[in-house]
Amino acid sequence: MSVFLSSLGFGLISAAVLAIATVGFTMQFAVTNVLNLAYGSVMINSAFVTYYLNYHAHLNAWVAMIGGVFTGAVASYLLNRFVFTPFQRRNLLPITIVIVALGVDLCGTFGLQAIIGGSYFSYKQSLGREIHFWGMYFSTLQLIIMGICVVVLGLIHWLLKYTRLGKAMRATSANPNLARNSGVRTQRVISSTWLISGALCGLAGTVFAMNTGVFDATSAQLYIVLMLAAMFLGGPGSAYGAMIGAVTIGVATELSAGYFNPQYKEVIAFVVLLGMLTFRPYGLFGSEKTN
Amino acid sequence: MSVELTKQGLVLSTNGLSAGYDGRPIVSDITIEATPGKVVSVVGPNGSGKSTLLKSLVGVVKVLEGHVTVGEHEITNLAPEEVAMIGVGYVPQIDDVFPPLSVKENLEIGGYLLSRREIPGRIDAVLDFFPKLKTMMTRKAGKLSGGERKMLAMGRVLMLSPSVLVLDEPTANLAPMVATQLLEEFVRGFADFGSTVLLVEQRAKAALRISDWTYVLGGGKVVLAGAPKDLEQNPLFVESFLGGSAPSRSTSNE
Ligand SMILES: Nc1ncnc2c1ncn2[C@@H]1O[C@H](COP(=O)(O)OP(=O)(O)OP(=O)(O)O)[C@@H](O)[C@H]1O
Ligand SMILES: [Mg+2]
Repeated sequence: MSVFLSSLGFGLISAAVLAIATVGFTMQFAVTNVLNLAYGSVMINSAFVTYYLNYHAHLNAWVAMIGGVFTGAVASYLLNRFVFTPFQRRNLLPITIVIVALGVDLCGTFGLQAIIGGSYFSYKQSLGREIHFWGMYFSTLQLIIMGICVVVLGLIHWLLKYTRLGKAMRATSANPNLARNSGVRTQRVISSTWLISGALCGLAGTVFAMNTGVFDATSAQLYIVLMLAAMFLGGPGSAYGAMIGAVTIGVATELSAGYFNPQYKEVIAFVVLLGMLTFRPYGLFGSEKTN
Repeated sequence: MSVELTKQGLVLSTNGLSAGYDGRPIVSDITIEATPGKVVSVVGPNGSGKSTLLKSLVGVVKVLEGHVTVGEHEITNLAPEEVAMIGVGYVPQIDDVFPPLSVKENLEIGGYLLSRREIPGRIDAVLDFFPKLKTMMTRKAGKLSGGERKMLAMGRVLMLSPSVLVLDEPTANLAPMVATQLLEEFVRGFADFGSTVLLVEQRAKAALRISDWTYVLGGGKVVLAGAPKDLEQNPLFVESFLGGSAPSRSTSNE
């Protein structure tokens, strides 16, 4: 029982980090049709900007995080502007973008490694008081991360449901030509999507690194598997599905880690992903591309 | 009606237009005109290039030669969003709504170029014209019936009070009764409001009944044009479009 509860506690925190990451990843796919496999490398690079500001510029980690978020937004915007969009314009096969993204991911990860070396890093940050209830243990840091997750997901919900930009994003995702015929400047909507989802990516990278404690340039390399599993579980292209998928995958992988071997996390996620692709390619709830 | 539904129409015309995909023309040498207060229809067999022609007018398909003008504006190869801004509302043959968005959100996107304050009033005006939509504002567009969906698709373009309406087979897949109502009540209604209506229709008989002028497209060219009552006298036209002996799929409707 206690293994179950403590694993569940871990699962909830992993789920919070994964939810932030997957929502950004899914928005990129839904609105701009790019399966951005370079997402993990943008996450870890953003986490390192936070690290730099925290460790070398002596900023409080939470303040430094703003730099990480900013980095994620700008890097993702530039990536779309100068890499993905030019490739998309040429009307190549969709797989081309995936391969390009994979290349960018490797450059991002190992480029970072070339700069910072192979050692491990951690933020100067206290975990805070330990709080436990119902047999689960949380540090203050972890509770803050979960709080950030709830606030961020709430903001994304508000954006998509109630703002002009959010509705334009969903319209562009559903039918880009019709959106243009309605007067929506879809190029701007797509740029905004990359800025916002990139900010989520930078945030996810930083809280991922905070939650892991120690990290290096390759720490987020396999994270893409968890994001893909969470995205397909919720239905590709659905931001709400991504939130639910992330919670499920986060909890499932940590529970399995509690009972078996933590090394199998990605394997479990991959099995879920394969199962989804085989039996429910539009997600647990989706029928087709849903928002 | 509280607010006017459409703006005073503008003349939509093409001059020697050719257009197509990947630099290869599908339609060529098209010179047509649609004027305010009139329904101008384009009929023709499947694959004759009707949709391609309409798409080239609204910036979806590239114009390779010739010109398109709306009123004083030359709109040849303008981006679709700029064509919308000039006042041309386009309802495509397929993919004419945003399925995951609610009816209300579809209308809001239709009014994307309006200020936040103008949108509720415009939605009311559109709902006055399509009262049936009133009861389904929160339903997802993907869940509407064919007829409801077409009303929504038209309602979406009416949000910007267009001067010109470009409609691609609005009655496709509709039951004959619904199709007739849609054409006679709504499409004719737009023209009676003073708008310019360019209509592509498979149902030749029904199209003629509400049209002031009709172009016949064949193999990407205008092969015949005239007022409906003259076309109805034309043996060639009658044979191929109004249920003569020629085997053309376009005669099967109606
Ligand atoms: N995206 C495209 N790329 C290449 N060719 C196309 C494309 N869309 C249509 N065509 C071709 O252009 C020709 C005309 O098609 P179009 O859709 O304009 O015909 P239509 O008159 O609207 O037919 P229908 O009555 O079936 O709607 C067809 O031969 C079609 O195969
Ligand atoms: Mg067509």
